[in-house]
Amino acid sequence: MTTTQSISLFGEREKGESVRTQNMTAAVAIANIVKSSLGPVGLDKMLVDEVGDVTVTNDGATILKLLEVEHPAAKVLCELAQLQDEEVGDGTTSVVIIAAELLRAANELIKQKIHPTTIINGYKLACKESVKFIQDNLSVPAADLGKNCLLNVAKTSMSSKIIGSDKDFFSNIIVQSCELIRFTNTRGEPKCPIKTINVLKAHGKSTRESMFIKGYALNCTVASQLMPKSIKNAKIACIDFSLQKAKMKLGVQVLVDDPEKLDAIRQRESDITKEKIQLILNSGANVILTTGGIDDMCLKYFVDAGAMAVRRCKKEDVKRIARATGATFVASLSNLEGEESFDAAFLGSAEEISQARICDDELIIIKGTKAKPAASIILRGANDIYVDEMDRSVHDSLCAVKRVIESKAVVPGGGCVEAALSIYLENFATSLGSREQLAIAEFAQAMLVIPKTLVVNAAKDSTELVAKLRAFHNASQTIEAKKGFKWIGLDLENGKCRDNKEAGVLEPAMSKIKSLKFATEAAITILRIDDMIKIYQPSKEDPNSYANAVREGRL
Amino acid sequence: MATKTATAKPSAPAAAKVAMSGGKSGKKKQFRDKEKPTDIRLSNIEAAKAVADAIRTSLGPKGMDKMIQGKTGDVTITNDGATILKEMQVFHPAARMLVELSKAQDIEAGDGTTSVVVLCGALLDAARKLLQRGIHPTTISEAFQVAQNKAVEVLTGIAQPIKLSDTESLVKMASTSLNSKVVSQYSSLLAPLSVEAIMNIIDPATATNVNLKDIRVVAKVGGTVEDTRLVKGIVLTQKAQATGVHRVERAKVALIQFCLSPPKTDMDNQVVISDYTQMDRILREERAYILDLCKKIKKSGANVLLIQKSILRDALNDMALHFLTKMKVLVVKDIERDEIDFVSRTLGCRPIATVDHMLPEHLGQADLVEEIHIGGGNKVVSITGCQTNAKTCSILVQGSNKLLAEEAERSIHDALCVIRCLVKNKNMIAGGGAPEVELSIKLAQYAATLSGVESHCIKAFADALEIIPFTLAENAGLPPINIVTELRNRHAEGEAMAGINVKKCCITNITEENVLQPLLVSISAITLASETVRSILKIDDIVNTR
Repeated sequence: MTTTQSISLFGEREKGESVRTQNMTAAVAIANIVKSSLGPVGLDKMLVDEVGDVTVTNDGATILKLLEVEHPAAKVLCELAQLQDEEVGDGTTSVVIIAAELLRAANELIKQKIHPTTIINGYKLACKESVKFIQDNLSVPAADLGKNCLLNVAKTSMSSKIIGSDKDFFSNIIVQSCELIRFTNTRGEPKCPIKTINVLKAHGKSTRESMFIKGYALNCTVASQLMPKSIKNAKIACIDFSLQKAKMKLGVQVLVDDPEKLDAIRQRESDITKEKIQLILNSGANVILTTGGIDDMCLKYFVDAGAMAVRRCKKEDVKRIARATGATFVASLSNLEGEESFDAAFLGSAEEISQARICDDELIIIKGTKAKPAASIILRGANDIYVDEMDRSVHDSLCAVKRVIESKAVVPGGGCVEAALSIYLENFATSLGSREQLAIAEFAQAMLVIPKTLVVNAAKDSTELVAKLRAFHNASQTIEAKKGFKWIGLDLENGKCRDNKEAGVLEPAMSKIKSLKFATEAAITILRIDDMIKIYQPSKEDPNSYANAVREGRL
Repeated sequence: MATKTATAKPSAPAAAKVAMSGGKSGKKKQFRDKEKPTDIRLSNIEAAKAVADAIRTSLGPKGMDKMIQGKTGDVTITNDGATILKEMQVFHPAARMLVELSKAQDIEAGDGTTSVVVLCGALLDAARKLLQRGIHPTTISEAFQVAQNKAVEVLTGIAQPIKLSDTESLVKMASTSLNSKVVSQYSSLLAPLSVEAIMNIIDPATATNVNLKDIRVVAKVGGTVEDTRLVKGIVLTQKAQATGVHRVERAKVALIQFCLSPPKTDMDNQVVISDYTQMDRILREERAYILDLCKKIKKSGANVLLIQKSILRDALNDMALHFLTKMKVLVVKDIERDEIDFVSRTLGCRPIATVDHMLPEHLGQADLVEEIHIGGGNKVVSITGCQTNAKTCSILVQGSNKLLAEEAERSIHDALCVIRCLVKNKNMIAGGGAPEVELSIKLAQYAATLSGVESHCIKAFADALEIIPFTLAENAGLPPINIVTELRNRHAEGEAMAGINVKKCCITNITEENVLQPLLVSISAITLASETVRSILKIDDIVNTR
């Protein structure tokens, strides 16, 4: 082997088996971090960053986002969790665990001298078959399960989270808010834009004091204490500019030679804004929301008119309010004649706007919006860290419910799908006469990592329970009369097997399918790598730099 | 790694000598002066061969990928030879030549960037063995030139002519190229798409070349690769500005290069105010100025506005956006300077540099301008149904993450290049190692007709060509020696189309498996590789200059 001289690079290069093993080790290390947080009895992680900020979470994507991962293959897994988070929103932990398990299995096969391309083919085939099997045999149309279905999906999603103990309470909130905002778009597809649900966090009081508000909760207060705190039949103006003393642009210089004129200029500066305010008030607006600021001096005009003005709202908030109330989000008052005006048609309307006190902060709540319904959730909890985690959990559940509403299919959870797939794929593998057989059998084995981890996290006997579970699924797939066993999954509280469809442990089918696809794709991406090249960072000091030349006295 | 030994074997006797002469120790320099050219040559060959060995494993449909972590820590995963070498930061000057070689093949043919480097490595290995037998480099170089000419002749002889109207064959060739990429599972979608794109911009009856600038390949994250589509018009990755208009039918499109914001003079300027009435005037003037611009745009009839990116000034300020919202104009800003040409050609509109030229005849017309969601919260603006005869089109490549989208973009570029090669030279040959083995046999026969050193060199050239089927087999997990010998046997029996079938792991008539490639790719690979070898052989000294 002396002929293959090492390639001259500004970096280091590794290839062949060492790269594969290294990649696999890195991937497994990542999976081991999140492994213990899978499932209803999974535990949380506490992450402390360099500033000292603390995050306590059980969400795979969040954990991996906060970890500073160096290894490129491990980075692929972190991106995988992020991808699952964006595309589905739930199941981020399981996708990473499956991908790492697939890699581990593949590495074993490679050690037995099976070519990686054969394994890749086998994995692709197995993934395709599994997706087909889930769609044909394991998914249940959500409509068949009635209204409870959505509640159950929300409950399943949050059962592993911090709010799991109050899942009845929270699943109600979540399903209510999703039901409120769901609509059918022009193409007849049901849509559930969960982004429009405003989730606010306020620490204090107990978790159970969290509430659902039919309306929009805005995390701002009225600009002046003299303004009314509550207005019925509100006419809302949403504007995107400051109502502050007019300042001239850069490059405009004020030069006066007469002190009288100075005063006039000052006067004019405030009058320009005053005129704008008058225009808005004249149109009949009694609530003004602006993304900019309002001068204290200008506040008096609003107070005099008995209107409510809110300054420094978030742009995103104002945009959503404009959409919900039917207002126009106005960036400037100028009209097409080059003059300034404010049309009454720009106003949106709501039944009631009031300022309410929650915790230490005050919130403005907009109820009975005219154009579109709005939903807000206010989360309460003992401390900030707790509330942050609640926010993430609620987001996951919202995503899960949204997926069910949009794709209308669910699968039973609790390791049921994975156990069924492992049995099905093992049988499928034996029907193949090619080299892919081994890879598919390993894929089937790798599926079992989910029920195993679930049981281990629940401190039960994993060997026994998983064996039982597999026995049920084997019966369901081989014996016609026992077909009903295919819904059997794990009951982790009692350490038994039960019909999870009956028990209401449901997950969106799309989440399962996507996580399988993503995990397989990620595993293949890493498997295809047989060579890794790390380019060194160029040294910061450029020998020809000017600073260097000066220091050395060359100039 | 059993397969690796097999490749190294033929050169094993040379190993000892290389190891000795490889280290150019300064101690005995004055006594070894005569050997210096040999040392330099061997060290060059070694360095270049190392590059070829580095990317060998990514050749073919079962090739593996490389993961490259760049200077800044960003990761590229690819199996495109040109991309790997570009990212690799090789610094040996001779090794750099191979990087350039791959780039040249990328420009010339667009595909076969890995095989050209692998081929070059094999030829260098052959040259080294010849050098060690004491053959003069010039003789080797000349013999390789003869062999190269003969090879092109043979290749042209076994090529089959193809008509551009034969879409089916074109699709087959595009998918052969795509099959070795990460996106191979989508080749049934991407191959017809690439062919259609090319057919869109050329006239199959008369075309002799394709200007790939007429096809704009745009990669955007969102959705999956399956959502990749061909748009007969323009796709802009910039999103539409918030004017409340997201769809315009029968659009009149204006492409402007001026800014809709208060004017700035070249030098520092000051406006001096000495009276409060002047404050009002300034505000009103600014409003009037912007309004005037917007009104002129509206007056010309434009309802879609594309604004070129501007660095010095805001291309579009809030005030202008406000007016355009009222006028219900769809606005897209930050059109890159290099996109202007494509956009104006496709739409048949003139880029408008000042507002005075804002005339109806300078506008482009399109049936539909629409902002579309492509998943993952991303949006693009598509302009379709352009009322011109401009032969242009766009391909919108989507992928679920940046790595995949970029790799898909590179793969589509390769597929487009394959078709372009066919337009340039309307001949095709088989793939799967078939032409190389055929060449090797024909060249060996030719060498037998000659005598002297030249014959010996041509024979070595012929043997070196077998590296391609050898590597293909190795990468597919097949026993390379068995496969190559069987292949040679089948070709000797007259089956010119026998090649390695990696799907079935055996040797079959490769044209029946639809593994086809353009003649130009192979010709250019052989020509470029042998020319690089010849130039490396000619170097006898490296001088470092400061």
